[in-house]
This record gives sequence, structure tokens and C-alpha cells, in this order.
Amino acid sequence: MTAPLHDTSAETPAPVVTADVPAKAIQGRSPGRIAWMRLKRDKVALTGGIVVILLILVAVFAPQIVSLLGHPPNEFHEDLIDPDLGTPLGSLGGISSDFLLGVEPTNGRDVFSRIVYGARISLTVAFLAAFVSVVIGSLLGALAGFLGGWVDGLISRVMDLLLAFPQLLFTIALVSVVPDSLWGFEGTGVRMGVLVLVIGFFGWPYIGRVVRGQTISLREREYVEAARSLGAGRGYILIKELLPNLVAPILVYATMIIPTNILTEAALSFLGAGVKPPTASWGKMLSDAVPIYQDDPMYMVVPGLTIFITVLAFNLFGDGLRDALDPKGS
Amino acid sequence: MIRRKQALAITAVVAALSLTAACGGKDGDGKGDAGSSAAAFDLATKQVVNPSDKKGGELKLWSPQDVDYLDPARAYYGFVWNIQRLYVRQLLAYDSKPGKDGTKLVPDLAEALPVLSNDGKTYTVKLKDGVKFEDGTPITSKDIKYGIERVFAQDVLSGGPTYLIDLLDQGQKYPGPYKDTDPNKMGLKSVETPDDKTIVFNLASANSDFSYLLAMPSSSPVPMGKDTGATYTNKPISTGPYKVESFTASKGATFVRNEHWDPKTDTIRKGLPDKITFTVTTNPDDMDARLLSGDIDLAVDGTGMQQAGKNKVLKDPNLKKNADNPFTGYIRYFAFPQTVAPFDNIECRKAVIYAADPKSLQNARGGPTSGDLGANMLPPGIPGSDKSYDPFNLTKGEPQIEKAKEALKACGKPDGFETTIAVRNNRAPEVKSAESLQAALAKVGITAKIDQFDGKLSSSTIGSPENVKKKGYGIIVMGWGADYNSGSGFLQPLVDGSFILPNGNNNYTEVNDPEINDLFDKAAAAATPEAAAPFYTEINKKVMEKALYLPINFDKAFVYHNPRLTNVYFNDSMGKIDLATVGVVK
Amino acid sequence: MLVYLIRRLFNVVATLLVVSVVTFGIFFAVPKITGSDPALMYAGRETNETALAGIRVKMGFDKPISEQYLLFVKGIVAGRDYNTGVDSTHCPAPCFGYSFKTETPVWDLMLDRIPVTLSLAVGAAVIWVIAGVATGVVSALKRRTAIDRTVMVGALAGVSLPIFFTGMVAPAVLVYGLGWLDVSNYRPLTEDPGAWLNSMILPWVTLAFLFAATYARITRATMLEVLGEDYIRTARAKGLTERVVIRKHALRSTLTPLVTMFGLDFGGLLGGAVLTETTFSFQGLGTAAVAAISAGDLPVIMGITLLAALFVVMANLIVDMLYAVIDPRVRLT
Repeated sequence: MTAPLHDTSAETPAPVVTADVPAKAIQGRSPGRIAWMRLKRDKVALTGGIVVILLILVAVFAPQIVSLLGHPPNEFHEDLIDPDLGTPLGSLGGISSDFLLGVEPTNGRDVFSRIVYGARISLTVAFLAAFVSVVIGSLLGALAGFLGGWVDGLISRVMDLLLAFPQLLFTIALVSVVPDSLWGFEGTGVRMGVLVLVIGFFGWPYIGRVVRGQTISLREREYVEAARSLGAGRGYILIKELLPNLVAPILVYATMIIPTNILTEAALSFLGAGVKPPTASWGKMLSDAVPIYQDDPMYMVVPGLTIFITVLAFNLFGDGLRDALDPKGS
Repeated sequence: MIRRKQALAITAVVAALSLTAACGGKDGDGKGDAGSSAAAFDLATKQVVNPSDKKGGELKLWSPQDVDYLDPARAYYGFVWNIQRLYVRQLLAYDSKPGKDGTKLVPDLAEALPVLSNDGKTYTVKLKDGVKFEDGTPITSKDIKYGIERVFAQDVLSGGPTYLIDLLDQGQKYPGPYKDTDPNKMGLKSVETPDDKTIVFNLASANSDFSYLLAMPSSSPVPMGKDTGATYTNKPISTGPYKVESFTASKGATFVRNEHWDPKTDTIRKGLPDKITFTVTTNPDDMDARLLSGDIDLAVDGTGMQQAGKNKVLKDPNLKKNADNPFTGYIRYFAFPQTVAPFDNIECRKAVIYAADPKSLQNARGGPTSGDLGANMLPPGIPGSDKSYDPFNLTKGEPQIEKAKEALKACGKPDGFETTIAVRNNRAPEVKSAESLQAALAKVGITAKIDQFDGKLSSSTIGSPENVKKKGYGIIVMGWGADYNSGSGFLQPLVDGSFILPNGNNNYTEVNDPEINDLFDKAAAAATPEAAAPFYTEINKKVMEKALYLPINFDKAFVYHNPRLTNVYFNDSMGKIDLATVGVVK
Repeated sequence: MLVYLIRRLFNVVATLLVVSVVTFGIFFAVPKITGSDPALMYAGRETNETALAGIRVKMGFDKPISEQYLLFVKGIVAGRDYNTGVDSTHCPAPCFGYSFKTETPVWDLMLDRIPVTLSLAVGAAVIWVIAGVATGVVSALKRRTAIDRTVMVGALAGVSLPIFFTGMVAPAVLVYGLGWLDVSNYRPLTEDPGAWLNSMILPWVTLAFLFAATYARITRATMLEVLGEDYIRTARAKGLTERVVIRKHALRSTLTPLVTMFGLDFGGLLGGAVLTETTFSFQGLGTAAVAAISAGDLPVIMGITLLAALFVVMANLIVDMLYAVIDPRVRLT
């Protein structure tokens, strides 16, 4: 359960292929390099990017961080709870040097540890689901745009149909009917796998539409015409000529869909369709906070702010990346 | 089972019995403000608070849960049975008195308690004079028989308890009145109506619980001419002080006075408010806020306040004195299916019991107000129960690690073992209990994983012994309340071997012990509920000695009521404020 | 135009049919896979065999799944009868069946819930469109000023906040903290407009904040793009006042992508603002659907899913019609 750093992850510049212009009189710069330079200048986006990297590190090294600064995430500390009210003793939700972010109402689990472990769930699901969306979306979107005709008609119809579905409801329904053990796997992994597939599946039409539109506009460009007239096959054109130029929009969309996925995963957990207890998740913490937030607001504030900061960081970085890759940008 | 309740646990704060309190309402000075000396925390569980005989006003009942059915044959929710005390009467009813008296049956439509003959197999009951339906027609024994026959028409009128079918069908396969070939629809053979005032029940064998069944709403009289089958639930015919004026599913109902109810025939109901409204809300927190502001009178579902409201009340002595912390009649527990290794070994079961942290489990359910620490498997209020019987020392409130390790060694698993805790996914306190047990077991080396199953499918998941074995559910979290106030009503479905079912099973431990089964037969053969009580004490003991269950708590609810309510007391037979006596003006 | 409309309406029906088949398939097939019996769900706690048999006959669970589906569709179009042999209930069109839980017609339940969701969606939509577009335009015109930066940071924060968090923070601050507002249950507009407004304010603001943020961002981006176009330069060169350029030319083109978005967003919301309704304990279509899912109340799930899909496809249709109005280049063919 480590946070995956797959190829579309955000911190490397887009590998946009370019024919090397002889570096002589005017300094030639590849679009990738231009983007990277723009990104470097965008302090806000960089900050977002740094926070994203930190979060990924937190998720990867959760056990080490918790053993240094926290308590095991499922360990009860009921001596820190007022038994009648169910709220943490002490002010600010029981925040102390021992419990950095306070303790959970009722059972006194370490909120810091649970936030750290929750990052694993949140980021893993968000990244993998984005990956699923990107793979399906780019493939079908490019096919639809490139082939046109009935293929385009069919794929576009399917995308329209999916967008007409009440997605959140379907996600809840699908997630909640899948049994705990599946094909020999069991526990949190199964639930996460289902979340990844369902969230990813409902996310692909968004990418599909963008890629399709982009492909249509690209396939009529001169350089594609040129390739075609040189006798290049369809497959060659799609892979060698079109795909490289689709990388930028796909990359931007992937970074934009990750924060959405984080919110979706949190929403599902909030509605009780996320990973199962005692596994920590941010959305579940928020839903646990509902009955008690009037008495113990910290237990609502901590996971809420965590989600906010995470999503904000991704959004800032995504915005910056989009601007940087925008050929019209200055 | 299944007076569904989902108690959201609550308070203990032992008997804040303020002696100065009591009987404030008598003064009649008309002030009756919240500051009157009448109210005190948890007082209404012991005596009548705010006595008054003033009529008038509107009693506003709210509930976050809709009634299941208003049709007496189909209702099964405990709080609906309480509401039905307002508009349907049976031959017998629980007396409207605080304390133990409230669990005793008294004649209601009947002139006197049933006369038993033929070795306890024949019950003969005579009806009172002057008892009428809401249209003024007198209630006859045939109406009662017809009402009972309706229970047999399960294909049309499903939902209610079916104990009557078990005892009265006696192999006849009676299909219910709608398919009855008898022109008068009086085809059920075991019940006879020699005249309009007399009804005779012939049982196949003696059963000391039969009186309890006659007191259930499903034994209410129904006038054949007014029976509208499946839609009767929208407008049942009243026999009590109130009649149904209107009912809209998932919205609520209005009850108004029934002129044909004669208070002289009724020793149980006071009929004080002029009007009673029942409102279904979907926002329990909003309901609590309205209760506290005095907008409404009572959360009639009886499961108690939400955490936010409860904490507000606990922190404010002025509010707290209008709150009570009654037993609900439920026990929350873990059951150990003996078909799942290593729980076939009593020592391994003991190891889990000793390793558990009772205080932590109590906290998981909501702290001391959610119930008293569990000790055994017969809840207080049921004849034969003894709250202080605590063979595993659970009420000390601490995990007994040493004993747990000894038990593990005796079980041949000194290093612990692996097992699965099955828990309904739609019950937050049960999930939290499972998490607590998981954490406690980890300390003695027992690794438990939690399997949350779909709560609405209980009857085919944990209710199927085959599935339990297949899934390896060594520990099952559940709660149980009796349908009627006797040891068999509570314990028999849980521990009688003949109650093991392939589906919808409640005997999760699958105990089938001839001694226990035999004790149930003996209790049934006893002449009266009182005579049966010692047998239930004995069964409870046997069950605990076998270490089949880990009781979590004797469940309590934290209930706040509007201070303007008069004649408030909790009836021990249902653990709820008795609607039969409540009034709203002093 | 008429031909276009007919073709599109045909598409709407086709889409709904596909959605209904898929939904029906999933929710009626799943119990088969997991080995649970819909009759058992209907009966709830009662496991009495006679009762189950009665329910199976009455609800048609004894028939093959394809026939059940046809009966379902027939019920919507023409109504249907539920018959046990001794007891018959007629359910008039549009009949979506009976809820397993309340035994009331699903159509009645939806009619009951629609005003709640509608109140929420319309009120919030008004707020977010006005607030979102206005701030977006201002931000674009004042590009690279302090106003622009503040608005955009606020907007980015807005899209990054989960509504189930702001839905708790808002009452915590405004109700319990400052005491400015009451928290209150939904009250029908027809019953008491004041109480209705009072109950709606918090949910409106919370929901609108999320969307307003998105709309401000899109408006700004589109506006900036439009302002860079040649025709705007031409308009300016013609000597038109900045006011006219913005109002008559720039805003109009900016609206086009917003209308598409609005159609999807609003249509989606009408099918149930699940999270907002849950957070504020509002009994709209969204909470009804979630409750139905967790209770296994298949007819209600079916009904709301179809209704929600209907809203989305109709919203799309209306949006496409609106295009013709906003953008004269678009021809509906």
C-alpha cells in the first residue's frame, strides 16, 4: 500500500517530444523546457507541488512517521475521554505534546496517526482512480476522435450516457454491494480496489471528451497530413504523431482529476461507502464528527482542513501546470 | 424478535433519587413551571412524576422513525405498541403503574384474568360489559376471535408477531379469514366463542406465556364488517380513548377522542389530552432541539437523544431533571458460535470474555448512560432476572488479562488465535463495540478482523448457521429485547436448541443443550409467570456457565420529556413513558 | 428545428430506457448474486414463509427478471395492479412501484421530495450564477490586481472545500458560534414562506459557495480568452465604449461554455444534492436515494435514478436549445 508514483504523476515536466532544433544562434527550447521554466517562476504552483510531494512522502512513510510522532492508529486511549459526554478531556479536542492533533471522541485514538494513515487511503485511491480514468479516457477518446464514424458515435453516446447517470448514487450502490472478500483477496484492499475502479470508471468520460476533441482538431493538421501522404499507417499516425501531442492535455486533466477523486473518496467515506473501520479515512472521520462537533469542534476541523489543504495543493499545482503547458501563455 | 429499537445509549448516574421531589403536581397552584419540585433526573423510572387528572390540550409526539403499521395485527415496533395503548384494547394489558407492577397483566376488555382449566390447556375469558368500538357497536368475543384470525392471513397482513399461529393453529393450517370457507369466517378451531361474552382458547399443551400473547396488540378485536385487509392499517377501528383521525405514511397521524370509550370500563388509561399528534421527522437533532425548547412533548420512539442533545442536557442541571435513563429491556452482547473453531472450546470463549474491556465496550455504546455494565443474559424487569449475578466479574469494569491468558493456555492456544467479528454495518455503536473488542483482544494475542455485513440482511448472514460457519464468524455482535415480558420471550429464541433455524436464526451460539431445553418446557408448564420465574433464573445460569455470551450492557435510553407532561412514568414492560396515562395540562 | 427536437426527444427516451435497463439489471440482479431475496427485504424483519410467498406473488418477484422489467415499464406508462388473489391494489400511472419500507407509492414519495430538492437547487443556483459570474467578470477585467488575486484565491479555496465540511462549519460558526441564524428543518414554501427562507439560507449559501467558486474560475478564464480575440479588438477599434464591448460582445461569448456547465450542474442537482441534503438532514431526493440504497429499497432506487437521469438529459436538451439563442452561429439540425 504505497502511494503510487506512476508515470502521469505530477512533479516531472511533460515529456513532450520535439525534434531537436540545432542549438545555435537563437537558443532553441523544447516546449517541455519552456513549460518547466514557466512552472519554476510560478511560486504558487510550486508551493502546491511541494505540498503534494510532502503529502506523498507522508503517505509512503506513514508507519515511520507515526512511530516517531504518534501512537498506533487503532490503539484506544479511553483515559483521555470523558465517559459521560464522550468528548476528549482537556481543551481543543485533547491536543497535547503527546497527541499532536488531539484524540478521537469516544475511544481516544490518536487523530494525528489516523490522519497520517488516512493519507495513504486517500492518495492511493485518488491516484489509481485517476490512472484508470486516464487510461480508459485517452484510449477511447483518441479512438473516437481518430476513427470517427460509427466508432465515434458509439463512444460519444456511451460518454453522454455515463454523464447522465447519477454517479454518486451508483458509486455508493456499487461499492456497498461488493462483498468483503473477492477472488481470494479480503479486507481493506478489496474495498479500495472497488473504489478505484468505480471512481475511475465514472471519471473517464471527462478525459475522453477532451482527448476526443483534441484528436479531431489534430488529425487535420498539416504534419499529420504530411505523415499520411508519406504513407504512414493509421496506427503509426495515432501513436507516433497524435499521442505525443495529447500528452499535455491528458497530463493537465490527470492532475485536475486527482483532487476531485480525493473529494469523491472522502464523500463516499462520509456517506459510509468508503473503506471499513478500523481503517482510518478522512471522510469517515468527518462523518464521525457530525454528532459531536458542537461539543468537540476540533475533531471536525482537523480532517476537514486536511482534506482542504490536500485538495488545494493539487489544484494549485494543476492550475500552474495547465498555464505552463498552455502554448498561448506568455 | 424484534421490537426494533436501536437504542442510542445513554445515562446512568445512579439513582439520583431526590426524596424531596415527588408528587409536585398535587398542589394545583397552577404554576407547574419547570422549577416545580416534581422533576428530578431519572425519577420517572421509579414513580409517577407530575400527577394530575386535568383533561385537555394536545400531546405532541415526534419520532425519527415512522410506525411500521397502525394495524394491530401487523405492528411490531415497541413504540408502536405503546401508541396502540391509545386506540386498541386487548383482553389483558400491562398495568399502568411504575416499577414491577407495570410488568403485571391485568384485565382490560376482560372482566377478570383468564380462568385456566384442563391442566392449564384451556383459557376461558369473559368480556366486560359496556366495551364498544368507535362506532358504538359492542365488542363481542367473535370480534376478538376475528382479530386473532387475521394474524393467520400472513400473505396479506405480514409484519406482526406470529406466536399466535404457533400456538393456535395446531395442525389445522388455517389460512386466515380472507380464505376461510366458513361463511361467518370463524373457522379457526382452537378458539371457541360459545356466546358473545365468552371466548375459550384450547391449547395443545400448557403454556404459562399465553396470557402475554393475549396482551399483544395482535390479539385486539377487529370488526369483520370494517376490515379492509392490507389497507386496514390506514384506518384501524378504535376501542380505546382515542381514534385515528388521519394517517399518512412517513408523515404522521392524528388521534382524537373516541366518544364511545367509557372510562368506567378502563382501569389502565386516563385519556387526558384532547388530541394527540404523531409526527415523523427525519432530523433527530432538530427533534431534540424542539424537545428542549418545549415545542414538542416527547420523542415517542424511546431510543433517546442524539449525542449533541444528550450532552447539552447532561451539562445543564435544569434540563437534566426532565430527563430519565430507563432500561430498555435490551441486552447488547457478543455471541460465540460454537461451530466456529476455536469457539467450540469453552476455554477459548472464556479467554475472549476475560480479555474484553467492559468499560471500553460501554464507552463504545455511549458511556454509562447507554446502559449498566452487562453481567448476565437476562435483563432486569423480567421475572427471574438478577442483575447482580456476575459470574465473570464483568461489572468490575476491567479487562482480566491474567485470567484470559490462563484460559488461552487451557484452550491449547497460549499464543492466541485468529477469528472474525461479524457486525451490522448500519449500527454505529455496534461497529464501535467491535473495534473496542478487537483492540482488547489484540492485547492477549487474539487477532480479530471485523466483517461488517449488510445490516438489512441479518437473517441470511448471521441468521444462517451454514453461512456463519462458512464465513468463520467466531464472534457476532447483536442486541436483543423480548417481545413479551417473560424469560422465554427473551431467552428462548437465543438458547433453546429447538429454535435453531436455517435462516433467520437467533440462536447464534447454536447451543442445543437438553438440560436447557428441558427447563424451557418446565417453565412453560408452570401455572403462572411467577411460578415460571425460577426456571429462567436457572437457564440464565446454565447459559452463563457455558460462556456462550459476552454481555456488553443492560441497555438504557437517555430520554428527555417536556416538563409540562403530567403523569409521567416509565412502564417497565416496555421501558418507555406510558402513553396511556400521560397528560399535558396541570 | 422541429425535426431536431423530435430526434432529440427520441434520444432522451432511448437514454432513459438504457439507464432504466442498467439500473434495473444492477439492483434486481445483485440480490440474485448475493443470494438475498427481494421479498425478504420487503418483509423486513419477518421471515414467515406465508408472508414471503404472499409478497412474492403481489410484487411479482416470482416472475422472471425480464418480465418484471416489462411490468415496471408498463407501470410507468399505464399503471399496474398488485394482486394477491384476495387483495388487489391499483397503482395509477406513472407507477414506479411501492417502497419496500413504507409501502407507499414511489411516485408519491418522489412528489413529496421534489419540492425540497427543487428549493435547494433553484435557490443555490440563483446565488451561485450571480455571484460566480459577477466575480469572474470583475476578476477578468481587473486582471493582475489585488481584487483579482483575492477572488481567485477565494475561488480556488472554494473548489477545494468538501461540502460536508463547510456544511458543518457554517452552522458551527453562524448558528452555534455567532447566533446569527437558526438551524431548522425544511418547511414547505406553501406552508410558511418565512420559515422556508429561514431553513434554506444555510444550505443555499453552503451549496452555492462551492459552485460559485467553479463558475468564477471558468468565467474569468473564458472572459480572458474572449477579450484576447480579434473581434473584441475590432469592436474596440471601432470606438465602442468598453461597457458596450463587454456587455454586447465579450459577455455573450463567455456565456456559452457556462450554459453547458450550468445545464449539467443544475440537472444533476435536481436529481438530488446528496451531500448537501445529508449534511443538513434535508429530506430531498438525494437523502431518499441514499436511504433507499442502504435499506435495499429497490423501487425507490429505481424511481429516483430514473428521475435524476431524466433531469440531466432534459437539462442537456434545454442547454442545446439555448445555444441557438445565445450563439447565432449554432444551427439546430
